[in-house]
Amino acid sequence: MPIIELTSVSKLFGFGDATNIALDEVSLTIEPGEFVAVMGPSGCGKSTLMNIIGMLDRPTHGSYKLNDRESSKLRAGRRARIRRDMVGFIFQSFNLLPRLTVLENVTLPLVYKGMSAAHRVKLASNMLERVGLSDREFYFPRHLSGGQTQCVAIARALVNNPKLIIADEPTGNLDSAASRLVMELLSEIHKTGNTILFVTHNPELTRYATRVVYMHDGRIVHDEQTAIGEIAATARKVMYTIPTTTEEDDLAGVSVLMKVRGDSSAKVRAAGKKTTKNSSKGKKSTKKGTKK
Amino acid sequence: MSSVARGELKMAIAAIRANRWRSLLTMVGIIIGIVSVVTVVGIGEGVKQQIASQLGQFGKDLITIIPGDIHNQTSGANFAGTNLFSGPTSQFSLSAQDLRTIQRVPHVAATAPLSQISGKPSFDGHTVSGITVIGTSPDFPKILNQKVPEGAFFTNNETDENAAVIGKSVAQRLFQEDAPLGMSFEFRGRTMVVRGVFNDFSNVPLSPVANFDNTIFVPFDVASKLANNAAPIYTVLVKPDDPTRTKATIKNINSDLLRTHGGQQDFSVLDEKQAVSSTSHVLDLMTKLIAGIAGISLLVGGVGIMNVMLVSVTERMHEIGVRKAIGATNRQIWRQFMLESSVLSGVGGVIGVLLSLLVDVLLHAYTDLKPSISWQAMVVATLVSVAVGVLFGTAPALKAARKDPIEALRHE
Repeated sequence: MPIIELTSVSKLFGFGDATNIALDEVSLTIEPGEFVAVMGPSGCGKSTLMNIIGMLDRPTHGSYKLNDRESSKLRAGRRARIRRDMVGFIFQSFNLLPRLTVLENVTLPLVYKGMSAAHRVKLASNMLERVGLSDREFYFPRHLSGGQTQCVAIARALVNNPKLIIADEPTGNLDSAASRLVMELLSEIHKTGNTILFVTHNPELTRYATRVVYMHDGRIVHDEQTAIGEIAATARKVMYTIPTTTEEDDLAGVSVLMKVRGDSSAKVRAAGKKTTKNSSKGKKSTKKGTKK
Repeated sequence: MSSVARGELKMAIAAIRANRWRSLLTMVGIIIGIVSVVTVVGIGEGVKQQIASQLGQFGKDLITIIPGDIHNQTSGANFAGTNLFSGPTSQFSLSAQDLRTIQRVPHVAATAPLSQISGKPSFDGHTVSGITVIGTSPDFPKILNQKVPEGAFFTNNETDENAAVIGKSVAQRLFQEDAPLGMSFEFRGRTMVVRGVFNDFSNVPLSPVANFDNTIFVPFDVASKLANNAAPIYTVLVKPDDPTRTKATIKNINSDLLRTHGGQQDFSVLDEKQAVSSTSHVLDLMTKLIAGIAGISLLVGGVGIMNVMLVSVTERMHEIGVRKAIGATNRQIWRQFMLESSVLSGVGGVIGVLLSLLVDVLLHAYTDLKPSISWQAMVVATLVSVAVGVLFGTAPALKAARKDPIEALRHE
């Protein structure tokens, strides 16, 4: 029984001439225990897809079954409870509440569940220990490094023991070391049986995934299974077609070799940055990559 | 569930403390409203208590007869008539004939008419204004249990004499002396001689009761002559010979007067309790009026809270999005903001109550007012301020609760 089953899901924004198709009849089935990387250029509908799967948004058309239950027509309160009990969200910008301590941030989902204070502190402490931050319980988010902050966010996503983890570019704001830390953590969580969906621009990170889904213009254009530890075949192509120098670099005579010093992670980082910051180029190259 | 409520309360307090200045300034509206309402009500209550204790000191068997029917008045048409000792503003008055009727009622032991005569007394060429002159009978000090330590009150044999007994402040203001016994002053062309000086009357500020310390008492017959035999009596005070007969005496006086008035109930015979309530009637009305006006500032404070909560909701849109993403229901978000606004206004209310206690102490120390703030008033004030928070917090809380989570998350 699939945990996620999308059938011809469309999401439209705006009206009339201004209508923008964020998702165009997307069908996707994900089995429990999959570790899915979602790739694609900015604006291709990845985030919209994540929001719909995570019950934050509803599809305009189509059917979405979460755990074999039709979910597109549920009421707001029901959806909130599903988010609380079944889904853990991890965001690119961490989204911890700045006025609460690390521990309080992690207990928050349990507060909404109605758990007693003692119980929820215990659970949250355990979870922080699991992400290796038990000595930071009473810090405020602003006192943590990016990687640590994301680990706290992961602890918060996990504290309710959700079946599904949705991470929208979890490493987007992190350097490569922190990215690795976060991905290792997610990979560990995956080993305990959770289903994980994550969005990334970094082909290198497909190493962690068991399946890679490529999106373009609101459609899933490619879907492949991949072995853990291997960069997905298509993603590898994307990686090598991403230009690592900009036009300015070319004019100035800066070579790729000067920017990337043989270190593969640095190269990937450079590539990843290109795709996010220089979106037009990134889009072009991704398109090329996916078509091949 | 209670631990959850506690957790939410903690969050609300944390949110309020995060914006200390803004929260305090928001509370100012509520604080001012609560302080003014509580203080005004306290002053009104204090004056009422003073009147009651003053009349209580006159004795439980004191019977008061005033013109006008206070039992059957139509919407304050006979406003002035409700005041005890309110002679000068009364539309009606009692006559010397009525006084004689009352005196003939069985078991009436003592009667004292109160009849005010206009005019300013002068001494040694100086005329002093603001002194009341009242004509009354020799029974007056006995009925009011008031002592005349210097000299004596005029007796039944002196009702024709130009004798006067004065209140303490008259002694100071007119004669600049403590006991100007035997000294004389001019009033309406007559020379009056001071026979005695009263002890301090227990006076009640703001009450419609005349200030007897500032009054010259002359024999009723003299007063009648001074006023061309037409001294209007605004009150007759009566004591029965036996306190247990008070009720019966009231009935008798009423029926006798009714007969002489041709069956018209254009007067009222009151026992001590009724006299107090008739006196407090106008005061009550005044208190309500001023408290109502002060209450408007509570509403203004409420609007202030609403304004700040709306700003706060907009500012924290992203937070709302995050909370919804991790599983907060609309209801829980709503409750969070409701709690915040009611804690804000509730704390304002408590501060307001504490401040009004301080104002109370200051009023006691520096004015004649003796405000009395009951614990009921404090509880009600606090509850009302919480209610204001609930009332004006609803719209912002709904705004927060109904926000689409995606939109809220996009908000930075």
